[in-house]
Amino acid sequence: MNGDLYLDICNFLYHEANLLDSRKYKEWLELLSDDVVYKMPVRNTVEKKDNPFDRQGFHMHETKKSLETRVNRLYTNSAWVEDPPPRQRHYISNIAVEPGERDNEYKVRSYFLFRRSRGSEQNAEELSGVRHDVLVKENGGWRIRERTIYTDHAVIPTMNLAMFL
Amino acid sequence: MNLLKEKLEKGMLPQFVVTDPDIYELELHAIFARTWQFLAHESEIPQEPGSYLTRWIVNDPVLLVRNQKGEIKAFLNSCTHRGTILCSADHGQRRAFTCPYHGWTFNLDGELIGIVAGDKIYGEQMVRSEWNLRPIPRVESYRGMIFANLDPNAMSLEEYLGDMKWYLDIFFTRSDNGMEVIGAPHRWVAKANWKMTAENFNADPYHVQYTHRSTVELGISPSDPLYASYGHQVVLQNGHGINVITGKEGRGRFTYQTLPESMWPMFKRNLSPVQDDILSRATVFVGGIFPNLSFVSPVHGTEGHLHNYLNFRMWRPLGPEKIEVWSWFFIDKDCPEEYKRESYKGYLGSFGTSGTLEQDDTEIWAQMVEGNRGFMTRDKDLNYNNVINYLMGYDLLKPDPSFPGPGTAYPSTYNDSLARSLHEQWLKLMLAELDRREAEGE
Repeated sequence: MNGDLYLDICNFLYHEANLLDSRKYKEWLELLSDDVVYKMPVRNTVEKKDNPFDRQGFHMHETKKSLETRVNRLYTNSAWVEDPPPRQRHYISNIAVEPGERDNEYKVRSYFLFRRSRGSEQNAEELSGVRHDVLVKENGGWRIRERTIYTDHAVIPTMNLAMFL
Repeated sequence: MNLLKEKLEKGMLPQFVVTDPDIYELELHAIFARTWQFLAHESEIPQEPGSYLTRWIVNDPVLLVRNQKGEIKAFLNSCTHRGTILCSADHGQRRAFTCPYHGWTFNLDGELIGIVAGDKIYGEQMVRSEWNLRPIPRVESYRGMIFANLDPNAMSLEEYLGDMKWYLDIFFTRSDNGMEVIGAPHRWVAKANWKMTAENFNADPYHVQYTHRSTVELGISPSDPLYASYGHQVVLQNGHGINVITGKEGRGRFTYQTLPESMWPMFKRNLSPVQDDILSRATVFVGGIFPNLSFVSPVHGTEGHLHNYLNFRMWRPLGPEKIEVWSWFFIDKDCPEEYKRESYKGYLGSFGTSGTLEQDDTEIWAQMVEGNRGFMTRDKDLNYNNVINYLMGYDLLKPDPSFPGPGTAYPSTYNDSLARSLHEQWLKLMLAELDRREAEGE
């Protein structure tokens, strides 16, 4: 893997995190390819022999269209979950890149730590996990073609999943 | 408590009961140890012997397991030796359950079948059958919905559900093969009081027009502020109730809530003409089974097309100001696979952890905790007129005798009749507990 490419992909993920933290969701949508598959399976606590991620249960199972609906909602005058706006921070780390299955495609794994502070609440909400992405270079820019979010939590500790991860 | 009764009769609820810690402790005994609690749907436990689920009734861990005969058994998920959690996975399949502490082993019928070095340590005198897993006192199911009750003397589940069965049957008997749960339930923690979430869900279509106004702005819901009020609010026994939301002209925008036309003849065959008629006309069913199970059957979608599903949600109290929400997705087993997939996405877009309607509700629940925990609001003598308002429809709405279903049906769902009934049932059980304590001289 050449260093320039790795740095380029890191920069892209940091740019994405910055858009989300700045609540520029419409700009964030532009980073997703039109055929994006964005999902977050439900994690269960299971015995070691079993798969902890539900085959049928998801917290999110989205397409570009449904993500657009979610984003558009946040720009209405009555999405109370973001009015007053929460303060949120995506910490992205442990980025690993390997070639994907198609030309210009890369499989990218990254850890996330998400923190959100709401109102006068002293304790920030926190979520962590790993994302498995497929990134593609389209017209000179990176796009997310697939994102699977594997959370560390069987019981989601945040009061909702209004954020994008 | 007398002041409480007096106010509630006038349509007001003293505010201190929302988050008062003493009230909460009393609720655990008066309500959660005495009412039927939803555990699971049969479809969540595969047919193979040893398939199991672990669930909670507030703080009591429950192990649901299918034995060799295929029956579902429910035990306290606590080893009889030292009380350790016996099985710490959410679901799976095992031939027997071995406690990780000292290795005591129980079979699928809860019998103690293995004690490490047992005879050498305990000798012959310990009767093993006295140390079997403790069964949950009462476990009964209705149409595949498994409920438990910690009170051995409780009335039967069917008697408890009463006329709610007629409404549940609309969902659970309309298809030849019934309903199934897809995926593991969503679980998350929210700052909220269980009474307020139950009321918010079961009994308060009035909040839809404002809390969820964003869906109006997006064109998913109609712009008429009364849109969620058309239909009937049905008050049933024991604090249960349902809102049947139709439309201004008594018919919703959809037929059979968008369920595929290929299924309609089956619905007609399986339901009574009255149930079938209601199902064909309704836009949304939303209601609840007292104390902490709510359900909604809406029509929703975030991809420009709309689908129906049934969502069950259980509010597990974790204290007066905290709940763990459990949210199940149900759909007819006989539904085409394509519809099931789209309907699941419609669920994710509306309710459940990431649901857009849910997001705004969670925000409101937290604000209700914050706004109900101060000195003024917690004043038990009500010196600050600290009562909350359940006056909607009070003395104003009369029951509509033309409504064909069972229960007392009011001709508008913007109505606090069901909320009042829920809180009256709550008070009745709280007072019964206090009477018992007094009789026992506590």
